[in-house]
Amino acid sequence: MKIKEDSSTKWFRLIAYIVVLAGSIMCLLPFLLILSASLSSNASIMTDGYRLIPKEFSLEGYKVIFQIPDEVLRAYGVTAFVTVVGTLIGLLFMTMAGYVLQRKDFKYRNFFAFVIYFTTLFGGGLVPYYMLINNYLKFSNSMYALIWPGLMTPFLIILMRSFITSAVPDEVVESSKIDGANDFVIYYRIVLPLAVPGLATIGLFLALHYWNDWFSSAMYISDASKYQLQFYLYNIINTSNFLNSIGAGAGVTLSEGVPSETMKMSMAIVVTGPILLLYPFIQRYFVKGLTVGAVKG
Amino acid sequence: MVSKKSKAVGLLLTTAMTMSLVSACGSSNDTSTAGNTSTDTKTNNETASNEGTETTGIDTSKKVELQFYMLGNAPKDLSKVEAEINKMALEDLNATVKFNYTTWTDWDQKYKLLLSTGQNVDLIFTADWTQYQQYAKKGAFLALDDLLPKAAPTLQAYVPQDMWDAVKIDGKIYTVPSTYKEYVTNGFVWREDLRKKYDLPTPVDMKTFEAYLEGIKQNEPKLQPVSFGPDILNSLVGTYLDVQRKNVGALPYGLYASYDKPSEMTSYWGSADQLADLKLFKSWVDKGYFSKNELNETESMQDKIANGTAAAILGDNPTRYNATASKMKSLHPDWELGYTPFGVTNGYATPVHPIHNGFAIPNSSKHADRALAFYEKLVTDKRYNLLTEYGIEGVNYTVEDGYYKMLGDANTNGFAREAMNGWAWRNPEFMLFEPSYDGVKAIFDELDKIQKPDIFTGFAEDYTEYQSERAALEQVVKQYLQPIVAGQVDDLEGQLQKFMDKANQAGLQKIQEAYKKQWLAYLSEKGIQ
Repeated sequence: MKIKEDSSTKWFRLIAYIVVLAGSIMCLLPFLLILSASLSSNASIMTDGYRLIPKEFSLEGYKVIFQIPDEVLRAYGVTAFVTVVGTLIGLLFMTMAGYVLQRKDFKYRNFFAFVIYFTTLFGGGLVPYYMLINNYLKFSNSMYALIWPGLMTPFLIILMRSFITSAVPDEVVESSKIDGANDFVIYYRIVLPLAVPGLATIGLFLALHYWNDWFSSAMYISDASKYQLQFYLYNIINTSNFLNSIGAGAGVTLSEGVPSETMKMSMAIVVTGPILLLYPFIQRYFVKGLTVGAVKG
Repeated sequence: MVSKKSKAVGLLLTTAMTMSLVSACGSSNDTSTAGNTSTDTKTNNETASNEGTETTGIDTSKKVELQFYMLGNAPKDLSKVEAEINKMALEDLNATVKFNYTTWTDWDQKYKLLLSTGQNVDLIFTADWTQYQQYAKKGAFLALDDLLPKAAPTLQAYVPQDMWDAVKIDGKIYTVPSTYKEYVTNGFVWREDLRKKYDLPTPVDMKTFEAYLEGIKQNEPKLQPVSFGPDILNSLVGTYLDVQRKNVGALPYGLYASYDKPSEMTSYWGSADQLADLKLFKSWVDKGYFSKNELNETESMQDKIANGTAAAILGDNPTRYNATASKMKSLHPDWELGYTPFGVTNGYATPVHPIHNGFAIPNSSKHADRALAFYEKLVTDKRYNLLTEYGIEGVNYTVEDGYYKMLGDANTNGFAREAMNGWAWRNPEFMLFEPSYDGVKAIFDELDKIQKPDIFTGFAEDYTEYQSERAALEQVVKQYLQPIVAGQVDDLEGQLQKFMDKANQAGLQKIQEAYKKQWLAYLSEKGIQ
């Protein structure tokens, strides 16, 4: 019996290792390709295509970027600022909302939960959204346009509400009330400490949202010093795409230099590098956070 | 009871008060400016006569900020140039300008939003490829006919009357056209050094072009003779119709009319001509002139020439040819690039239509008169013009022997030549060129001798009545026609028939008839036969 189990486990392990190995190689390969392309000379990419090992080693891509790094660095700064500030404020707002929505003594909690949930199903579309941000709130060209829209994400509020419901027993809230705590004290002395795993999940979701966001910059920011990092990169690619796609009849000539392949790849490395280093450290929270609330009981 | 009532009244009062406060805050700008413009128009004549020293006939007593929108990316040194411009504009017009750029990311969507959401935009770029005609027809722009003599008399006199007439949509002027004359007509582009090396004919028409491709295929098997990129319907079919069948313009929906007889519009799709052309393209694929995978190509045709992976482009405009040539020279100094404009083949060339580059004032603008006056300065005042086209002299550029010379290189210079994408406010009198541009000028001079007017671009299509059919047809073309053109199918007749069936189902007939009707109406209105 023991032997039998062992061999099947062995087989299972072997196959699992192969699958995981193949999977991780497939994930790693594109990245290695980018790394090698960023270290090749542009001419060799053009004539021989991408290779895993650079044919002609060169640092020209990095040189060009670090010659005038201010644009990349500023975009980095904007994204970092937006991510940190947005995540902190967003966490505060959404935990408060989630806490209030799950309080049983809040009479209209279902109604408000429905109103919040409703917006995830039915949106007004881009035009009203654009008008709201631009014409009424007048956020265009300011950091507000980047931070504000993510602060109250309906999905995350609902998530927070169900998390608090399951993690904080009503009795705890009741007993603290008897001990003389007011609603806000209950929120930050009792509920928040109990909901730390939920905070981690939502914080990570939110931080990722802010980090990956490019659309807000595309729509509302025209001042180049306030571009988010992802948009800055995306726009570089789009500019060369535009030049390739626009017909000869349009007669468009752009004076700005279109970046070479090497430069694009070096930029990708420069931009992903720090996150890559950071990831192993926050990864454990991420895994923990994702499974939080998945198991009932 | 009483206390309840008073409470209710108090509540009502406070809400009313806050409402009025809020609404006052929100609309204070609008009301004051709206009032301002209305008084502007009323008192315009008065102020013009009263203040003889004032150069413009508009009221500039109140300081305003103009929102200026241009496509593309803002140059690095924009803020410095903007500050310089604002110094002058504040003095001349009591106005400051904010230059906004859409970037090339989703620019068409952004352009639509800028015009449709009533946002505060005072000046915006227009072109045929930004659908100026359609937007003007839908009423997105302000008609300038009455405003021009008042706010920008110099500009009105500066732009020739026939250009003003040419940009009219439904009898009204909606955009200020650029007066710089250029050609964006196509021409054959090929590797001259290879042509000489193997003694191939110079491409001057389709026959010689094919012979050149054949020669390249024979002698340089590794080189792709010609490339088209993913937009093959334009780069191959469109260009071929242009050079071989003298198409009047890039007519949509498979329609065709020759330049000589524009009123005889027929359907090119489904015709014997189309089948013959498709057979020709297919033979090119079979002979290996271009690859079946052209639709997946990510590198541009121009880059492929410069890097030496392709040997020809069927059609490109003179300016871009010149840019490709100098890029190639920088990478491979011993290579040469040849060019024959289609004008040589066809005997005529059309300079760009005035609609091609322009600036319009959207209907939502609150300071239309000041915006137009500013635009006049931008075009006709040398200080404004040079500053916005070339940057700050001595910092960004210098003038050497009458030629433009950039200081530093493209990476260190914060304002390259025409970095603000100032295509529309180019003023031929002030323009500075780089020495490498002389080649383009020579081609333009050549084409000037055989120029004929562009009769297509002035046409404004109104597709409201067949909007849904149009969208359906677009899908059908992508799905059925594109693979045929790219040489991915063997049974040409059968597949073409299938495409025609699907297109007719999508409503091709209706679209073509409606378009033809509008086209004929346009021709008779303009008196073109």
